[in-house]
Amino acid sequence: MKMNRPACGSIRDAIFLAPVVLAFVFLTSCNSSNFNTPPELIAATSGTPQSAQLNTAFSAPLVATVTMGGAPLSGAFVTFTAPTTGASGTFASTSTNSETDTTDANGVATTMSTFTANGSVGAYSVTASVAGVTATTTFSLTNSAGPAASIAATSGSLQDATISTPFEAPLIATVLDANQNPVSGASVTFTAPPSSGASGIFENGTATETDTTDANGEATSTTFTANANAGAYTVTAAVAGLTPANFDLTNITGAVISITPTSGTPQSASVNAGFAAPLVATVTANGSPVSGATVTFEVPAAGASGSFAGGVNTATTDANGVATSAPFTANGSVGTYTVTATVASGAEPANFVLTNTAINYAFYLSGLEALNEFDSVPNFYALAGSVSLDGNGNVLGGEQDYNDGVGLNSPEPSPDTILPGTGALVVDPATGQGTLTLTTNNSSLGVGGVETLGVQFVNLNHALIIQFDGTATSSGSMDTQTLSSTLNDGNYAFTLSGVDSDDFAVGYGGVFSISGSGTAIAGTFDVDDFGAANTPTLGTAFSGTITGPDAFGRGSITSSALAIQLNYYVVGPEAIRIIDVDNPNTGNGNDDSAIGSAFGQGTGTFSSASLGSSIFGVESNSLGSLYAAAGMFTTVPGGGTSGTFTGIADDNEFGYGLLVPKAPISGSYTIMDNGYGNLTITAGDLGDVSVLGMYMTDPNLNLNDPNNTTSGLGGALLADLDGFTLNGTGVLTPQTDTSTASFAGSYAFGAQAYNDGRGPNGGWEFDLVGQASVSSLALGQATGLVSDPFYIFNATTDGTDTATFSGTAAPYHLSPGRYTMTLSMALAADDPAYGTVIYQASGGQLFWLDEDENGESVFLGPLEQQGSLTGLPTAQKGSTKTKSKQKP
Amino acid sequence: MKPSSAALCTLVILISSTSALQAQATTSAARSATPFSYDTAEEVTVAGTVSSVLTDAAPGMIVGSHLLLATSSGPVDASLGRFGLRRYGAVSVAAGQQIEAIGVMKTIKDKPVLLVRIVKVGSEIYTIRNQHGVLLSPQARERASHKTGPKGDSL
Repeated sequence: MKMNRPACGSIRDAIFLAPVVLAFVFLTSCNSSNFNTPPELIAATSGTPQSAQLNTAFSAPLVATVTMGGAPLSGAFVTFTAPTTGASGTFASTSTNSETDTTDANGVATTMSTFTANGSVGAYSVTASVAGVTATTTFSLTNSAGPAASIAATSGSLQDATISTPFEAPLIATVLDANQNPVSGASVTFTAPPSSGASGIFENGTATETDTTDANGEATSTTFTANANAGAYTVTAAVAGLTPANFDLTNITGAVISITPTSGTPQSASVNAGFAAPLVATVTANGSPVSGATVTFEVPAAGASGSFAGGVNTATTDANGVATSAPFTANGSVGTYTVTATVASGAEPANFVLTNTAINYAFYLSGLEALNEFDSVPNFYALAGSVSLDGNGNVLGGEQDYNDGVGLNSPEPSPDTILPGTGALVVDPATGQGTLTLTTNNSSLGVGGVETLGVQFVNLNHALIIQFDGTATSSGSMDTQTLSSTLNDGNYAFTLSGVDSDDFAVGYGGVFSISGSGTAIAGTFDVDDFGAANTPTLGTAFSGTITGPDAFGRGSITSSALAIQLNYYVVGPEAIRIIDVDNPNTGNGNDDSAIGSAFGQGTGTFSSASLGSSIFGVESNSLGSLYAAAGMFTTVPGGGTSGTFTGIADDNEFGYGLLVPKAPISGSYTIMDNGYGNLTITAGDLGDVSVLGMYMTDPNLNLNDPNNTTSGLGGALLADLDGFTLNGTGVLTPQTDTSTASFAGSYAFGAQAYNDGRGPNGGWEFDLVGQASVSSLALGQATGLVSDPFYIFNATTDGTDTATFSGTAAPYHLSPGRYTMTLSMALAADDPAYGTVIYQASGGQLFWLDEDENGESVFLGPLEQQGSLTGLPTAQKGSTKTKSKQKP
Repeated sequence: MKPSSAALCTLVILISSTSALQAQATTSAARSATPFSYDTAEEVTVAGTVSSVLTDAAPGMIVGSHLLLATSSGPVDASLGRFGLRRYGAVSVAAGQQIEAIGVMKTIKDKPVLLVRIVKVGSEIYTIRNQHGVLLSPQARERASHKTGPKGDSL
């Protein structure tokens, strides 16, 4: 029997019910036994479960059936409600997530309108409920992704496997719809290449299998096993209608190869220099060394880089799997770079990190400046500094201290800055002769701030230099620096030569100790000062403080007892250049200037036995009583601190018109255990040269070439302490080889010459550097640079000139190691000649002294045998300027 | 700027103490144990007439400038050194003028030469060397003038 909702409980159906029915219903329903109405139930009859793609309509309506007491209930209002967030949908009739429909006579309520999935993937429930009734029912719907739009290889590509062995990871492909939603249920077919080549099979034993994407859109293959053919190949993963995804796999023979850097990284070397260690790589297969493998080393094609000896950039591994490269040399560019080592298997390269470092040179000079003259009279000046270059002759930077004691100086306590300069060092690589242009930020120096030095390299680490720009003339040297953060604690000897605050020549010499990790100094000094009331003053104690070196090796030494402010430039652990930088702006307000060196004394102590056969040379500075002397002697140590000596020497006291050639000398010497001492030539033996302060240095140190650790080692610094008569400084070098046969080969030479009687200015000074080939004691192919800002020689319009030299040394048979030579110079318009005497310490080191009887000049200078010049950091591989000889 | 060469001039000066000069020349002819030494106790005063002013040494002379003096005992070579005729504090003298030169006679290059310490020209006094015989540069003369007063005072 069908039942309608009872009238006693509702007035809604009243108009639809016939009175009889109404009465029947009343009589059958409203008696006392029918007030406990049976429950209404609702059930999802159809339309569940369903799925639809995003934004598309579900195909079937949602149908719910309502019953009461097991009988269909018509006229019931059923509300269908979908979720308000996330995966859900919309009813077309209401454009909302819910709709209400009425059950028909069968108690069936059917959604009257289409239900469309929204844009969110997922499963959800639509609830059907009847108002006023607790019971509900649900419809399970799923919004699914759109059609597959792409497939990608998301895992398992770029694998290697040994032939006939499984790959470690499965192949996984991911399928997405156009909105990047994972597409589940898509069929993905994995296909490997034919087995005739490198390929493999899946677990089904074939090269193909099909897998279905999961809820994440991923299709995962079964284990894929490499076949027996080595090589690289591609396995595709395809979905109909889409571009396949590719899996790049490689079947390899044997084990997995690896190459690693074993040694030689990281390393650094100066530009143009060889790296100390080769590059060593080790090749293994599954951890076991591989022998006979070819390792290829690749260098950067531009910028900082290098090259292997002989151009050989490959090496073969030995039984230990080790491959050692050929020696590697830095190029001329500064910087850090990587050299890679690879093997043919394609293993990840081994990397070697290398750095090309700049070359730093410390330089120092002193002489006469033609600029800033005081009433047309030139001043003594001193210049010291440090310059950094790359291997192509480019100056990278630097700093310097300049002081002429009359107001032209660097802005102490700050130095002048040496600015970067392209192609600043131009040297003939065959002779080592050329120029170095220093562009400073001090426009008062040089030519508008640009100083040009004439350079004569002795070897890669040492050069004789002159100022060579027409504004000044001076002599000195330039040496590669080994920079440090502090000066080394230890004992040192030093000398300084210059002018005091009254513009009188002054010379210092002494010994000192550095302590406190390079911060404290204490020692003893002698001074011969022409401006003092009494001179010399010997054995004065001093102490003071040291500031650590900056990036260019520059620091300062302050001592009240010394009464001069010193800056220094480090050359190496046992060699520093020192310069008096006093000017009215410094603390003591003095105007004086001086320059010199300090050298380490080693770790031992000294005695009379520390002095043996030696040669010596001393010279005044440019404003002193002009003279130079040189000689040689043998010693008789007396035990303890004292000894005697005899020898031969030459003296040219140009300022006094006194020439003492080939003079037998004798005398005594004293050396304290700290190396402080003196050498006294019997008065009258050598003109006015008699009392020399002598300050011993490390027996393993070359005083002329501090970076030379193999020859010319030992000696002492000298200070002439002959009171008001003479002062000057010099060097004493052990005499080890007087053989004339050793005086042969290529030589660099220099001279600081005080000249009179020539040119419009009556002389003053000229300096020269040069290079010669000595054979059978004759100078050959000798050329040089002459700095002549006072126009001593004719027709030098810019104060610089080039010259050729000639002369033949004649040995003095009574004193092996002593020679005489007439040195002829040929300049553009002048041909001076100088009578010289030469003293030989060894074939590698000699001094020459001008003792011309015409009395117009005096000079002293070194002749130093040249070493290798390969790798000079020069910008131009060509000759320096020359001037054709023109007779006036 | 470089100084230009000075012109040579010719003067005659009578020496005031011939015998003293001869004695000093004799003493200087002997080489001392240390050839160059300057002792103010050995100084002599030479008065004469400037016969030549040499800004540069002639051959055979010691380096520097010279005054050739005419004295009753003959010519005297007075050495003024490298700085004597150069600018600040330089001796201002011309040929024909009468001067007094104080210095030590030496024999250098086998010739007698007066190493001049002070030159007096009229009321002007010029210091060429200090009391130790060290030549004064123009800079040294200028700085000394700040210490001792006008140029020409001895150091």
